[in-house]
Amino acid sequence: MADVVVKGISKYFGDHQVISTLDLEVKSGEFVTLLGPSGCGKTTLLRMIAGLEKIDKGDLYIGGRRYNDIPAQRRHVAMVFQSYALFPHMSVYDNIRFGLKIRKAGKEEIKRKCAWALSLLNLDGIESRLPREISGGQRQRVALARALVLDPEVLLLDEPLSNLDTTLRDKAMEELKRIHRQVGKTILYVSHNQVEAMTMSDRIALLNAGRLEQYDTPRTVYDEPRTLFSASFIGSPAMNIFEGQIEHEDDVMGVSTPIGFFVFDKEAALRTQAMAGSAVTVGIRPQNIARADHYAARRYSDTMVTLNVELVQSLGDRSLVVGRGENDTVIRFLVTREDDIGPGQRLPVFIDGRKIHLFDPLRRTNLFSK
Amino acid sequence: MPIDSLKFIVWLSALLVALFLVLSPLYLLIKYALSDSSSINTGGSPIPLWPYHITTRTFLYLFSDRQFYSVIINSIVIALGTVSLSMILGVPAAYVLARYRLPGRKLIILGLISVRLFPDIASIIPIAEFFIRLNLQNTYTGVILAHTLLALPYVIFIGMSAFESIPNDLEQQATVMGANGFQIFFSILLPLAIPGLAAAALYTFLLSWDEFIFSYFLLGLGKISTLTLYLKQKLSYSPPQNLLATISVCLSVPVIVFSLLLQKYMTAGITSGSVK
Repeated sequence: MADVVVKGISKYFGDHQVISTLDLEVKSGEFVTLLGPSGCGKTTLLRMIAGLEKIDKGDLYIGGRRYNDIPAQRRHVAMVFQSYALFPHMSVYDNIRFGLKIRKAGKEEIKRKCAWALSLLNLDGIESRLPREISGGQRQRVALARALVLDPEVLLLDEPLSNLDTTLRDKAMEELKRIHRQVGKTILYVSHNQVEAMTMSDRIALLNAGRLEQYDTPRTVYDEPRTLFSASFIGSPAMNIFEGQIEHEDDVMGVSTPIGFFVFDKEAALRTQAMAGSAVTVGIRPQNIARADHYAARRYSDTMVTLNVELVQSLGDRSLVVGRGENDTVIRFLVTREDDIGPGQRLPVFIDGRKIHLFDPLRRTNLFSK
Repeated sequence: MPIDSLKFIVWLSALLVALFLVLSPLYLLIKYALSDSSSINTGGSPIPLWPYHITTRTFLYLFSDRQFYSVIINSIVIALGTVSLSMILGVPAAYVLARYRLPGRKLIILGLISVRLFPDIASIIPIAEFFIRLNLQNTYTGVILAHTLLALPYVIFIGMSAFESIPNDLEQQATVMGANGFQIFFSILLPLAIPGLAAAALYTFLLSWDEFIFSYFLLGLGKISTLTLYLKQKLSYSPPQNLLATISVCLSVPVIVFSLLLQKYMTAGITSGSVK
């Protein structure tokens, strides 16, 4: 087990900079997800840590030791590829044993460790099968067993669940979390799936275009997005975003938008005191919008907005409503499935002013984060 | 008549014509090999279409000829030598060409096939002259080297596609697990490339087995003779056609057997289950 420190790392593919002076510290035993859209550099970063890509600039430390010039073969890391990369001509057992044999482990040690890995990942009974003879879920577990058996200081996982169907994926997520608790390894997990990141990680490193957008616990990333990108990438359905202007209205601080005026709470009011008149980008999560007629009383912070319902999409227990407010502002929010709502209806909703997020429209950063 | 059955009849007739063109010489060859001389030298009357007086006399005659055994052994030795040399040289070359972005990769490949860009009869003149200067005429080494020259481009091409079909992830995975280049080559790549390489080896064997022009120029009708040269030698004495046909059958049998084997080796899907 070891910590991973990435200091000012850059990576170029030709003239194209895929990672620009990135800093990241992963504590020993931590489960960190590198999350971001495709092409954000997350897999490249993982491959640099594995030693499969050269580090063009900056330093990489694992367990306090500088790793830049240590070849992949001699790094104490293990990696699970997105494709699993199981050796097709070797049985499950031979696949798991391969790394130990390469490292010239003793016969007894190999036997003991393989037995441990097989039972940890519930692979007992299929040791002698070939990769093509087992299911996708089993292949994923074999790939994991093959990595864990080497007792690496850091475990690198490159979208290991992306080839599984949803039910299997949910199971695999639980299992991965259980294994992390059991073996306590430092895990770097690459994903473009926010549900995986939210469920499993201790911290999420959100990447966009080769830069670190935010590095926080899943809760903090959700509650306090540092940038407009964080705000719109995390959370499902995606946050509603529209433009506004900070204003004083009847001695109350708030933001005026095409769909209405939202009142700030005390803290927000205090922080925006000097900003009256400036343009801001406003974000509100669909979860913080509710049907007006469901409230016994309107709270002080609630603003009533009337929307024209355009589309209702069922999500099972809830439905996603797409509505259009003043000035063609599209607002998405959730209703329970008991709510009988259909397209064409006019629907009043409450938007809680205390829950809105404010962003600098030019720097695209959260107005309230340092 | 519906279009579909019309189409079917056209295809079927084309197929039958093609089949006839391919099979009739083969039929004649076997028929001749099994006929006795009187049914071939009929003294003017038409040669019957069906073999009559079926006899294995020519086979028995051939099998009693000591030279026949020595040329078969020579052919096998030369073919095996060619296979070994082409594989030893060709497989690593195929690997490097398949896996590394070498500068001038295309030029190297072009250089490798250049021998095959010329008709054999044209390229053998400078090659024979060169080999004779090196005193390689009338030697096993010489003819094996010459056959390797012919086989190498095939081995490299088949080998390249065999290595290219192995996902890169497997190598990288083995690297991260601590394996060095040799370990990766021998425990991952080679076993996975075996079907393709076996096909290349079989192909090389056949190429050498029925090669005539290079062997003829380098060995002449001298001490070392191969099966193809033996056939040529018999041909120059104007022997009975049934003997020539019999030699040809002996020459063809391994080709047919190995071609069938080759098909079996060309099985797809050996790497299935490794990625995805």
